[in-house]
Amino acid sequence: MSKRSNKNIIQEANLQTSHQITRKYFFKECFSGIGAMALGSMVGGCDWLGSKDRLDQFVNSNPLMAQAPHFIGKAKSVIYLHMAGAPSQLELFDYKPELLKLDGQDCPQSLLEGKKFAFIRGVPKMLGPQAIFKQRGQSGAWISDNLPHLATVADEISFLKAVQTDQFNHGPAQLLMHTGSARLGRPSIGAWATYGLGSENSNLPGFVVLTSGGNNPDAGKSVWGNGFLPSVYQGVQCRSEGDPVLFLKDPAGIDRDLRKASIDAINEANQLTYNEFKDPETIARMAQYEMAFKMQISVPDVMNINDEPAYIHEMYGTQPGTTSFANNVLLARKLVEKGVRFVQLFDWGWDSHGTDVKNAVDIGLVNKCRSIDKPITALLLDLKQRGLLDETLVVWGGEFGRTPMQENRDGKTLPFKGRDHHTEAFTTWMAGGGIKQGTSFGETDEIGYSAISGKVTAHDMQATILNQLGFDHEKLVYPFQGRSFRLTDVHGRVINEIVA
Amino acid sequence: METIINFIGHFHPVLVHLPIGILLFAILMQLISKWEKFNQLTNALPLAYLLGAISAVFSCFTGLALANNGDHDADLIFKHQWLGISVAVISLTGYYLIKINKTVYSKWLSYFLLLLIILTGHLGGTLTHGTGYLTTGVSKEEGGLIKNDKPIITNAQEALVYKDIIQPILKDKCYGCHSAIKQKGKLRLDEKEWILKGGEDGIIIHAGEAMTSTIYKNILLDPVDEQHMPPKGKPQITDQERMLLEWWINTGASFEKKVKELPQTNSIPNILLALQNNNVNKVEVISIPEKEVAPADEKAINALKNKGVTIVNVALNSNYLNANFITLSHTSDTIHDLIGDIKENLVWIKMPGMQFTDALSEAIAGCTSLTRLSINNARISDEQLSKLNSLNELQYLNLVNTKITLAGLLKLTNLKKLNQLYLGQTSITVEGLNKIKSVFPNVKVDFGNYQIEKLITDTQLVKVTEKK
Repeated sequence: MSKRSNKNIIQEANLQTSHQITRKYFFKECFSGIGAMALGSMVGGCDWLGSKDRLDQFVNSNPLMAQAPHFIGKAKSVIYLHMAGAPSQLELFDYKPELLKLDGQDCPQSLLEGKKFAFIRGVPKMLGPQAIFKQRGQSGAWISDNLPHLATVADEISFLKAVQTDQFNHGPAQLLMHTGSARLGRPSIGAWATYGLGSENSNLPGFVVLTSGGNNPDAGKSVWGNGFLPSVYQGVQCRSEGDPVLFLKDPAGIDRDLRKASIDAINEANQLTYNEFKDPETIARMAQYEMAFKMQISVPDVMNINDEPAYIHEMYGTQPGTTSFANNVLLARKLVEKGVRFVQLFDWGWDSHGTDVKNAVDIGLVNKCRSIDKPITALLLDLKQRGLLDETLVVWGGEFGRTPMQENRDGKTLPFKGRDHHTEAFTTWMAGGGIKQGTSFGETDEIGYSAISGKVTAHDMQATILNQLGFDHEKLVYPFQGRSFRLTDVHGRVINEIVA
Repeated sequence: METIINFIGHFHPVLVHLPIGILLFAILMQLISKWEKFNQLTNALPLAYLLGAISAVFSCFTGLALANNGDHDADLIFKHQWLGISVAVISLTGYYLIKINKTVYSKWLSYFLLLLIILTGHLGGTLTHGTGYLTTGVSKEEGGLIKNDKPIITNAQEALVYKDIIQPILKDKCYGCHSAIKQKGKLRLDEKEWILKGGEDGIIIHAGEAMTSTIYKNILLDPVDEQHMPPKGKPQITDQERMLLEWWINTGASFEKKVKELPQTNSIPNILLALQNNNVNKVEVISIPEKEVAPADEKAINALKNKGVTIVNVALNSNYLNANFITLSHTSDTIHDLIGDIKENLVWIKMPGMQFTDALSEAIAGCTSLTRLSINNARISDEQLSKLNSLNELQYLNLVNTKITLAGLLKLTNLKKLNQLYLGQTSITVEGLNKIKSVFPNVKVDFGNYQIEKLITDTQLVKVTEKK
């Protein structure tokens, strides 16, 4: 066959194809197709088309099916321990002997000018560290006597000592920490991780939330919400007392076969609805019915700590049948062991203002520390002895820090020693999951007021967590309202200084 | 005013391509217009030369503005500048000659112009990309590339402060612009003599005074400051590195002394320890085999998924697979066959609590790419474990809470790459460590059984009365 006739065949084919493409089809296809290509090349860093593939996968199969990350992740799961209320870094990890010398003196004007505090008014007094500090382990990390057990595993931990935020109220600051935005409506980090990686265990949700301390965090359930991601990725809040998930049991007279049959019937109807309207939320709903059905068997088993051996209870300091941070920590280990992707713990009651004995930095805070010290230490050691610490990232922190000044709410002296909310410098830490052991990054000034080097933000922590899971935080995106959204929005830098 | 000049200067790298393109095209047209077929091109020559000449003049002006910025080798600038100006002048002359029809002169002039453009362009390239940019990466010689092999420090206190600690930092972060390759600001940092000599603004190190030493001060500047080093966008000096530099200068910027001969304050001993621990303290990260592998059989993957196995590529760009059998308590011959179908691709397997059979052991033994195997809580015999001796790529083995004995473990003589071994809640204790080490030379063994000390404060609450 000559070259020429070859060309004719191709031309003919092109002609035929173009006949079939109506004007309407052209507009429909080209506006999304060319538009997407143009956008994709314009925004460069954001992999819009890649995210579309992810969306197709979501629609075409089980949304919680395990997915490959961008690159090989060092961590497979995350346990995020959030101390809601913001623990005082100055009584735990950020040792400031200079501050002790200034104890009781008036705060210099230079620290107050142009600053806004949540409660401090007028000129407050400086408040020295209300704990005894020592250097621990080979790494020489400063940890106070409030956390004597954690001090023994200091060499497993990487501290971030100059974390900053721009929100001085609990709700917005918690939202920023967990969703990347101080406003409502964004997906939480656990939702993003589950959206990206799916679940390793098809019988359990990918993202579980446990709360303790008597209250939910101030920001409410939005801190583990799915935002604009399909709702199948929102955190499933479990209880550590009574039924782990409410209303999971079949009602009297309904057996499991009947339950299965009714779910199948509902999902068939849902499938028809989906075929008609193509709303991914319908798929999410169907997946949730399936999940709930499987969870009826799997959850009571995994959420039951009664069968754990005595030495484990002793290690964690757990008492079955109660709601406690210790019980939640043990559950977190069990869940991660079973393949749950993201476990988020919120412990309420760290807001040490000094208005009450429960939130005095030298009384209530010490008691809060005692309630977390042993469980967290046990968690690190238990993960280690199970060979899970290298693939489980443990993150600890609050939503902001506390002032080196003593709080003087409304200009009055408070009955107890306390500190106000502080945005400019606080401490968080990470361990396991491919994070360096026994290091510290960032420094604060001599009184712990402001960060002087190694400053990091919530977005940087989020970028780092995603990085450990194998994601480029700039490429894990979801198209919503005409643009690609990501957890870190336009911010975030992977804190490579603590990545092993 | 100066900012305007700088701003104009920044257009030079873009504008220079206009005269290069237009004039080269003009010369080409002039050459081929000799043939009758392209004769009519002669009419376009005046316009081409004029446009080329005008763009050359603009390039000269922006170039002069850019030269103001400094940062470049003055000698190179001088040559580049005058060659550039001559390009502009010669192209203008060429325009004039063609306009008045002196074809013969203009032909010779075009050859000369071609040569000038090449020379000017090359010098311009040298200015932006550094000496020898043409050959870098082409020849096998080290050329301009910096090899970054950090010395291994076994004992930081015995190390040489400059050679082992400071020089690697400079090499890593500064040599790119301040060494044999480039000498921005006329500064070289690759030899003691050059460092002491300083740059165009004078001495950069005042021994004993980091805060007055330019080299240190420029690191401290705000990252957006133009004087900040390394420049924005380049890898920055880390805090630890900055503190080491500060310490080195403050203790006299010695080029010969050992670390232990210098006073060490504050956090320096810890940073030094961290350097030394780089190897000891390294967190083991499980790698996947270097060699590429063909994509696994989709059918087998889907069949395994239907059996309840979670199976997924380790990363988007990798064909290696990670399989988690956590929802299964036992396997079947079908599963063993399916494992066999994708044995080249499986690198990570988790089978916690699995009831092992000989057939399952054999199926796993076929997965010779395997680097990570978790069979904690599995019901597996020594006999079944010994079949896994073929897994010579294995780096991680989790045997927690199994009935494996030391004798059974020691049969795995081929697992030389094993670096993490978890033996908690087994009959094997730390007394077996020496034997284990002799079989697995690089292994880090975890025997579990961690205890947390009981403190009286664990269950006590602090009350108000306890305080004052």
